Amino acid sequence: MPRPQPTPVTLTIDGREVRATEGAMLVDGAKQGDIEIPYFCYEPKLGPPVGACRMCLVEIEGIPKLQTACSTPVKDGMVVHTQTARVKAAQESVVEFLLINHPLDCPVCDKGGECPLQDISYGWGGGTSRFIEPKRHFEKPLALSPLIAIDRERCILCYRCVRFSQDVAEDHQLVLHERGYHTYVGTFDGHPYVAPFSGNIIELCPVGALTSRPYRFRARPWDIEGAGSVCTLCPAQCNVTLTVRDDRVLRVLTRDHDGNPGVDDGWLCDKGRFAYQSFHVEERIVEPLVREGDALRAVSWERALDAAAAIARHAGRAGALVGGQATNEEAFLLQRLFREGLDSGDIDSRAGGGVPLELERALAAPALQASVPDLEFAHSVLLVDCDPVDDAPILDLRIRKGVRRHAVALSVASARPTALDASAHHALRHAPGAGEAFLAALDAALGGPGDARARADAAGLDAEAVASLAASLRDGGEDVVIAYGERLGAGPRGPHALRALLNVAHRLGLDTGRAGAGLLAVPAGANGRGVREAGASPTAGPGLVEPAARGRDAAAIARAVEDGEITALWLLRADPLRSHPDQARWRAALARAGLVITHESVMTEAVREHATVVFPAEAYAEKAGTVTHPDGRLQRLRPAIGHAGDVRPEWQVIAEVARRAGLDLGVSTPAEATAQFVAAVPFFAGLTLEDIGGRGVRWNEREAATAVPAGAAAPFELDDPPVAAGANGSLRLGTFRSIWASPEVEISPALKFLARGPSAELAPADARRLGLADGETVEVGSNGTRVRASVALRASVPVGSVFLETGLAEGSATALEGEDDGAALVEIRPAS
Amino acid sequence: MDKLLFRDIDEPGLNTLEIYERRGGYQALRDALKRRPDEVLDQLLASRLRGRGGAGFEMGKKASFLPKGTMDKYLVCNADESEPGTFKDRELMQKNPHQLIEGMIIAAYAAEVNRSFIYIRGEYAEQADILDAAIVEAERAGYLGDRILGSELTLSLVLHRGAGAYICGEETGLLDSLEGKRGNPRLKPPFPANQGLYQGPTLINNVETLSTVPAIVRMGGDAYAAIGVENSSGTKLVSISGHVRRPGNYEVVLGTSSRELIYDLAGGPPEDRGIKLWFPGGSSSPVLTADDLDLSYDFDTLAKAGSMLGSGAIIVVDDATPVVDVALKLAKFYRHESCGKCTPCREGTNWTVRMLERIDAGEATPMDLDIMASVQDQIIGHCLCVLGDAMAMPISSMVAKFRPEFEAHIEAARERHGLSAAILSAAVPQPALAR
Repeated sequence: MPRPQPTPVTLTIDGREVRATEGAMLVDGAKQGDIEIPYFCYEPKLGPPVGACRMCLVEIEGIPKLQTACSTPVKDGMVVHTQTARVKAAQESVVEFLLINHPLDCPVCDKGGECPLQDISYGWGGGTSRFIEPKRHFEKPLALSPLIAIDRERCILCYRCVRFSQDVAEDHQLVLHERGYHTYVGTFDGHPYVAPFSGNIIELCPVGALTSRPYRFRARPWDIEGAGSVCTLCPAQCNVTLTVRDDRVLRVLTRDHDGNPGVDDGWLCDKGRFAYQSFHVEERIVEPLVREGDALRAVSWERALDAAAAIARHAGRAGALVGGQATNEEAFLLQRLFREGLDSGDIDSRAGGGVPLELERALAAPALQASVPDLEFAHSVLLVDCDPVDDAPILDLRIRKGVRRHAVALSVASARPTALDASAHHALRHAPGAGEAFLAALDAALGGPGDARARADAAGLDAEAVASLAASLRDGGEDVVIAYGERLGAGPRGPHALRALLNVAHRLGLDTGRAGAGLLAVPAGANGRGVREAGASPTAGPGLVEPAARGRDAAAIARAVEDGEITALWLLRADPLRSHPDQARWRAALARAGLVITHESVMTEAVREHATVVFPAEAYAEKAGTVTHPDGRLQRLRPAIGHAGDVRPEWQVIAEVARRAGLDLGVSTPAEATAQFVAAVPFFAGLTLEDIGGRGVRWNEREAATAVPAGAAAPFELDDPPVAAGANGSLRLGTFRSIWASPEVEISPALKFLARGPSAELAPADARRLGLADGETVEVGSNGTRVRASVALRASVPVGSVFLETGLAEGSATALEGEDDGAALVEIRPAS
Repeated sequence: MDKLLFRDIDEPGLNTLEIYERRGGYQALRDALKRRPDEVLDQLLASRLRGRGGAGFEMGKKASFLPKGTMDKYLVCNADESEPGTFKDRELMQKNPHQLIEGMIIAAYAAEVNRSFIYIRGEYAEQADILDAAIVEAERAGYLGDRILGSELTLSLVLHRGAGAYICGEETGLLDSLEGKRGNPRLKPPFPANQGLYQGPTLINNVETLSTVPAIVRMGGDAYAAIGVENSSGTKLVSISGHVRRPGNYEVVLGTSSRELIYDLAGGPPEDRGIKLWFPGGSSSPVLTADDLDLSYDFDTLAKAGSMLGSGAIIVVDDATPVVDVALKLAKFYRHESCGKCTPCREGTNWTVRMLERIDAGEATPMDLDIMASVQDQIIGHCLCVLGDAMAMPISSMVAKFRPEFEAHIEAARERHGLSAAILSAAVPQPALAR
């Protein structure tokens, strides 16, 4: 879809010639001429202006009445006055009106010092009020939610928070109650405003009416500093500004208010906004630990590093898992240690199995890469086995924006109902694990060989629905973006699913390199893409080169430990008991391994029961290094605070262990690590930290991107996909990882309430059949393994399926996921 | 004068299709359908009929602003008649619903619209029932639906009942409410003719305006334009209320003398009291005084006199009524009905009420009158829609024209409440300290 092209216009404001972009609103155009027009309600992130606050009234020659500059687009030759007596009188009167009911309690207000109302009152107000009647009173402050306090007396009814809830997050919870001077903000039903993106309204509020409960009264604007970094709690990698006081992070804001249009569009999810608390809690591990007998004991770094260096004795018999919070440099250095120092290629970063190198390369082909803004401007977006609100939350808002403002035709194909179903033209519900069959059917419907009907049947889908989706993708405009979850490529059939995906991309012409279209892989780990391109993969070395020897993937590593072929494990920010299938095998493997080295910040089961050496992990606010966004954007982490306790940088720890194990990695600063990593990846050639800068750079848009080795070429001949198991009285098991399923949420005091216990999402009809009620505790099991969960009825869950959460500290559905079966069948019964 | 809108208005059973047709009803529609839509639109343009809802914009022009093309376009009849003193649409809908429906069908044909709505205020339950019945009759008779009377015109008509908010009579507030949202005015532009209901081009007209359309088609636009005076063509229903002996709706030719309306038609104030002030066009028009009674009742003359014809509702206030009472009653109405979306209206209406209450309670000084006048100036022209102006203009005119009475009222109220002027003049009221 064509994107707006900036056309310059020239206008006159206060006698000054101003060059602005055509279509820009006057308030923004004026900024380009260094002229400030005050406003409260205007916020382009929220959509079209509403003109409610009336603060931005200006005089435009040729128009008799004063006009709101927030809603008047600039025109060539326009003559505007913002300083005349008439305009000043109007501005002063709006400030006077706003302040008649606003308590003048700035000295005790949390917003004081960074408050637009305060600034504008000083800058444009008359300085006095003639209002002598009693002010409006409300009970205050109230908890709008466990995270947000609301002071209705301070509210100036600018509509921003309500517009966010209605038009951006589309959770439709916030409304204005009553009318006229009785108007107040609240949730429609009076329940707390709990939603994945609720915290954004704190940042939107131009007064102290909505404040962060965790931040309230913790600091004053003159006590704090802002530090830019990148949130690595999920693959969305939002750009943030960390509010730092006395070397502690007290708040997370979107970067410079407008965020990074290539990444987050100026929004944050509540996990990203509040999980900073996990940096400063007592639960955090801040010193190295070494196992002595049954207990872990705090030791000096020397002892811990020496203990870890014992891995040298396991050369050829060591395996590593790299988690999503590792940086590119850490993954790169660790794979060097393994491949060069320990003679082992057994290093993996995917939970669901390795991807053949020729497919990895094909999927990474620069021509195929869609960017985040493409989600907003494409003709069609198809989501496959991916629910952004859980997998990379901020993309959910981006897709909603595309649908709402640019009429993107959204389609969803997934086993579990997604939050975006209601916005989708097509919402196809295939059987759990049948993503491959769906894509194979879609491939056939798009003109590929094979029986579309049989494949649709295999996916548990209606062939007509697949055909209709195919038609809409093919005929709805050439810019198609397909976003898919890592789940799609998991399991033994994963490569088949990825081939089917590449076929679909080929049939839609996405591999021709056209801008604005392509694939967007949403990895399970925050830096999943980065660590794989850095070589944390059994099938690929740094830069997707053929490794000296292909190694084992995660599942094979577990088996090899069981079989005694691997005796040492290095878990770099990875917790197989939480996130890897076949939990029982991993538990056995961890118990069997002679040496288990972990980098962890909290005491997990894997650490408590099995770790031999525990290195305290860095928080992202403490880190230096780079990460790679799912759309190929390299971004830079900069330390905002010093390390807690005795924590040391992970790159340094890896390098030090390597040195003691006999391998000099040759890095002594983070910049050296980055330089070494960049030099090792041909398609990053010439990239520097300066290039990455504050906004990041998409490597696949640089010239060097041609250095990606060619992968397998679509179209492929597809096997017949396996037929989804008939539920036949039992239920098909599907899994998902909730946005809240993470250790950071569990240990952040403000967010804890969102980390609910494991739930089993069930269709009401199945619940009736099985005699189960919402909230009831049940046991879900297969082959003797059982997981306890509480029933969560969800009308949109298809009959015959049950969805369980993974990524939990306890009761994770990974216990039920075998490594071989696409979709397991489970029994469900009331807990005894 | 031949009545146009009120032709046969008191005929029993005129609300039924049978009687309406017997009296020549739907003949204008049949005639219109024999012509091309643009020919019908030309008639509307030629009539120079100005909108009867309050703003007085020419109906034909507004209809001509709708873009051509086959997109979904809408016609909305504004039947949210809520302006105090205005009750003409009620009578039109109650007694002659088919005239409105026929007018809407013709207007839809001229503007090439195929979906239409009537948004009626919830309090008009009886009129809504009557309209509902009439719509069913019209549908059964083939005046609504597909290929009306064998022509190319297809039109649906849906009656929607409001929930009792004055602001939903503001055209964009009405559209939001009709879409199922909170009835708040929208920013203009875009104007409804370009982006109205469901973002589609929309023509919005008042009940009286649309009810006039059959007469225009019947007599021809030029003949209609010949009635009345310059820039105010045709006849107008005037709702006369307040202190008059014979309140009610009167159909008059625009340009009739105001004195004739108030005294000859409505009988003037009872007990031969004098007139202190009168609202010429609903409660939101700046007030006029007894000196203005000889003004010609038409759009331009009233505008020149500093007021407006508005919805055509004359409210007469006799000289036995304190002007402060009138102002307070009025301000309270607008405070209650302000939607709260924009600052000057939300805060200004409340502030004005508070000041008037203080004046009435003897806790004010003449300085408060200056503040009140200045607050009205801060509202006028600064709001999102005209509701703020609707309070500020009459209040402002009252303070300007009756300042001595306001001051006397303050003085008298002080004494009534036992506060001597000497004490108050020494001690200006202190702001109440917020707890």
